[in-house]
Amino acid sequence: MDSILNHAPCGFLSVDDEGVILAINQTLLNILGYELKELKGKNINTVLAVPAKAFYQFYFFPLIKLEKKVEEMYLSLLTREGNEIPVLLNATRRENINDCVFIPMYKRNEYEIEILKSKKMAEEALDAKDKANDELRKVLHTLEAKQKELVELNFKNQEYQDRLSKELKLAKNIQEKSLPTPLRNEHINFTSFYKSSTELSGDIYGLYQIDKHRYGVIILDVMGHGISSALVTMSLQSIFQKLISVGVPVDVVMHELDEHLLLLFQNDNLISHYCTVIYMMIDTEKEEIEYINAGHPSAIWLDQEGEMLEFRSTTTPLGLLEGMEFEKHVFSYKKGGRLFLYTDGVTDTVELKVLKEILQESRSKSVEDVRKLIIKALKCEEKHIENIDDQCFILVDIK
Amino acid sequence: MTQNIIYRNNVKISGNGKQPILFANGFGCDQTMWRSVAKDFEEDYQVILFDYVGSGKSDIQAYDSNRYKDLSGYAQDVIDICEALDLKDVIFVGHSVGSMIGALASIVEPERFERLILVGPSPCYLNDPPNYIGGFTREELLGLIDMMERNYIGWAKFFAPTVMNNSDRPELTEELEESFCSTDPIIARQFALATFFADNRGDLSKVSVPSLILQCSQDVIASYEVGQYVHQQLHNSIFTLMKATGHCPHLSHPDETISHIRQFLNNKTIPTGAD
Repeated sequence: MDSILNHAPCGFLSVDDEGVILAINQTLLNILGYELKELKGKNINTVLAVPAKAFYQFYFFPLIKLEKKVEEMYLSLLTREGNEIPVLLNATRRENINDCVFIPMYKRNEYEIEILKSKKMAEEALDAKDKANDELRKVLHTLEAKQKELVELNFKNQEYQDRLSKELKLAKNIQEKSLPTPLRNEHINFTSFYKSSTELSGDIYGLYQIDKHRYGVIILDVMGHGISSALVTMSLQSIFQKLISVGVPVDVVMHELDEHLLLLFQNDNLISHYCTVIYMMIDTEKEEIEYINAGHPSAIWLDQEGEMLEFRSTTTPLGLLEGMEFEKHVFSYKKGGRLFLYTDGVTDTVELKVLKEILQESRSKSVEDVRKLIIKALKCEEKHIENIDDQCFILVDIK
Repeated sequence: MTQNIIYRNNVKISGNGKQPILFANGFGCDQTMWRSVAKDFEEDYQVILFDYVGSGKSDIQAYDSNRYKDLSGYAQDVIDICEALDLKDVIFVGHSVGSMIGALASIVEPERFERLILVGPSPCYLNDPPNYIGGFTREELLGLIDMMERNYIGWAKFFAPTVMNNSDRPELTEELEESFCSTDPIIARQFALATFFADNRGDLSKVSVPSLILQCSQDVIASYEVGQYVHQQLHNSIFTLMKATGHCPHLSHPDETISHIRQFLNNKTIPTGAD
């Protein structure tokens, strides 16, 4: 080997396909800590660590054999002392001899290790990001499924609402059909107004001709409103309709209604519905009104001279106490007059004082006209009120 | 389907014979490794070369890190090729881990294979003291994988800021301009893990196809003792120690390799799996 190559600033080594070292320069011998005679004719595996031995077989040999050159291959050499030296290897092939140049790369090695470390960290970060994304996707999936469920439920709910609303409309229709129509004859002129706060009302009224001279007028307000109140109302209506139309005495009618209410909510403290009611039996021949007012707002009487008086509550509301005794009151009149009965939904909207003024001022007008005036007053006030109760009033002219 | 597999595994068919001889390379490079040996069989056989998905000029888009997480995925590549080409009485020649891949394929579909030629086989590279010496400690194998990574440093694509997911890596479709040993660093790493940490010792006794073990002298990767172990475990196997040294006799000593293979194929006294 010529002197220049022998002492060149790089390691040099020739090896055959069997891995036998044919030549090695002094620089490489110095790096490895061997004498020439110790390595010449030996297998290159002598100066390779185990991973490098395998790498040599997997990559170096196939590459040099088939492509005749190897460029910038990273390997680690093993010194006599057993230390590993990172090197960069370039090799070329001439006939069956592979010439290899080794450059130790300590500093570069550190640098590359750092780069690899950073790369691994970046990959790990990316991996973590991907996993987080996966989680997010899963959560999103669940969320979407829940949302879909909600939409379906909402749809079902809507269907239910629609059905309920249809049912309620039908029920309202039935309730309104049960109300008496206006009546006008030689004794009496009757008109009314009825409006529920929701679809169904807790108010009800009735007018029945008992015989030639006798008429029964009833107005009733079950506590609360909505479906349950309306059902109670309707059950009471079916009772008073039967009783009143056959002329059962006022106190008996009241007693029966009271009994019925108490029976309905027997042993049930949670739901009880009491009701206020006025029942009046008008005898146009005797010019007498027998009545009982059970906790209901006063009925108003206005006579021909403009005299106004009230039929105040004579007893507690129905459905509250067991064993109640009802006592009828009798009122006599001359030359007829006008009766005004109402539920508190009316006086909650328009003050009783105002209603009385309307009644007084329109004394000479027909009941139909007075009805219109009161409705107008109600509509006017309703604009300022949020929750309006069931409203109901009756006007009766007795001749 | 056939065309897909041919494209996917870069299958190359040549030769004038009828009986197929399928060459499978080992870890690291591609079918080019078999060039000089395979050529010699073209006159008498149908010579088939291929690349595993993820290496050589295979369709890298077909790589699935789950399928190729162990050697069974690579064995499936071999089976897919046999099915696609409707091969029968296959002579399978595998080098290094390629020989184990072929052995695994023959366990799944023994009827397809007539003979196996295993060049430098090892069922397990990891030492399992005291009874089994695969040749490597865990640290040494990790050192080898580390060395592979260090050699990818010069690759521009090594620093592609994405990992694992082919769909996120359109650059993978570009053909790597490196040598025939080039492959995607991440795929190479997974192949290395699948190869070097495989333990197929338990599978050897399931192989029923007659086999030839070609054992190199002074093989640092698959030692003489490992070759002997394979011979003991395989039913109906012949063990031949070659003059060739190293781990790649098909490269270093193609003539010797060819003559051993021919001798084995011409030996009609060996009962074949088909018989």
